[in-house]
Amino acid sequence: MQFILYLLLLGVIIILQSTFLEIVAIAGIKPDLVMLMVVLSGFLLGARTGTFLGFAGGIVEDLFSSGYIGLNALAKMAAGYLAGGAGERLYRENTLIATIVTFIATLAGLIVNYMLLLYLDITIDPLHALLRVALPAAAYTALLVPFVFSYILRRFQILSRDL
Amino acid sequence: MRWATAKRLFLLAVLIAVTLAAMRYTVPERIGLTSPGSKFRDVIAPVQNGLTWLGRQGRYIISLPVSMVGAAERCQAMEQEIERLESEKIQFNEYLIENQRLSALLGYKKVMAGNYDLLIASVIGRDPGNWFGTIILNRGFSEGVKENMSVLTPEGLVGRVIAVSASTCEVLLITDPRSGVGSLVQDTRTPGIVEGVAGAAGIARMIHIPNNALVEAGQAVVTSGQGSLFPKGIPVGKINNVQNEPSGLFLSAELYPYANLNNLEEVMIVTFVQPEAITVQPETTTVQPENTTPGAGG
Repeated sequence: MQFILYLLLLGVIIILQSTFLEIVAIAGIKPDLVMLMVVLSGFLLGARTGTFLGFAGGIVEDLFSSGYIGLNALAKMAAGYLAGGAGERLYRENTLIATIVTFIATLAGLIVNYMLLLYLDITIDPLHALLRVALPAAAYTALLVPFVFSYILRRFQILSRDL
Repeated sequence: MRWATAKRLFLLAVLIAVTLAAMRYTVPERIGLTSPGSKFRDVIAPVQNGLTWLGRQGRYIISLPVSMVGAAERCQAMEQEIERLESEKIQFNEYLIENQRLSALLGYKKVMAGNYDLLIASVIGRDPGNWFGTIILNRGFSEGVKENMSVLTPEGLVGRVIAVSASTCEVLLITDPRSGVGSLVQDTRTPGIVEGVAGAAGIARMIHIPNNALVEAGQAVVTSGQGSLFPKGIPVGKINNVQNEPSGLFLSAELYPYANLNNLEEVMIVTFVQPEAITVQPETTTVQPENTTPGAGG
């Protein structure tokens, strides 16, 4: 049931991402809300869950957008795994740590994304990819963490208490 | 008549005479700079000013408690009125901007009617990611849209249709790394291919420019039309800088697209091109590179 809710929430986020988020794009870069959700879920629930949720979230996004099924799934899976691994080793209830983990995991996910694009023969200049897409997008996504982390943490605490 | 009465009458007559003389002396058309009345007014003006101010302050102080009755309600009503008017103002501005945009599209459509059949479409979505640059339009094959049709704005080329459904179509922007547009530098007719860099980067690159070509920043790039899906002469972008390609055999140039791909709301789909379509002149004076930065997400 929770997984279905997760997928529904992902659907809503992806629709928001493809419509409303253009308004808040800075220099063409918009935050990756799906990545944010995957990374924070992984950070709070562990590497295994993070990997699974990353893959599921990425697949939904792939079905919705670019036509390359698996491109976002693999990239977000890597980010979810990394964030989950970090969450198992670091103090989870600190917004600053969550922000830094989000930045690093998102950047790593976007780098995986870039390498998969190369694999698909879609050539992007590495400097452009890093400086004009990956770093700004990771920074913008991480900047949202302080606004949402305490709410998400509370929800997860309530959920884990109920379980 | 007694002496006292006569004296009074005399003084009255003198007074009347002086007054009449004063009246004659002070008729408006004869008032000049030397007029005693005028000088008097000048002298007492600051006093009058001060007294008037004092009077107003006094009236304000006296009437303040009275005016405070119901002030909170009036203030609240006024605040609501201001909010309503501000909301209306924003709405009117939105109508104004939309009107200007649609007028520009209509004007362009009329000008280009002899060369192209154009279908106006609204942007309803974008690629959710940052790597690719695609947009979704509200026109599909039920309105005659087909794959590979060109998409324009009055400023320049936007991209081409890559997928069509009954009521929507997906457009690959020229800033998408999968996009390639056969182009040439307008001044020198130097050929090259304009390819996207990354959807979110909002810039494109013209590659395979011959090494000896005279290409420099500020030059306009238009579609070549040769062996291309795009009609000839559509403005693509302005060259920002030129550099050598790693192979050393060619040059490449960074382009700022003329169409503001970051803020697309309405576009035109070219549904038919007349065989002898004329060349379109890029509107270089109206396009600022700073405003044409980042393109679509992707």
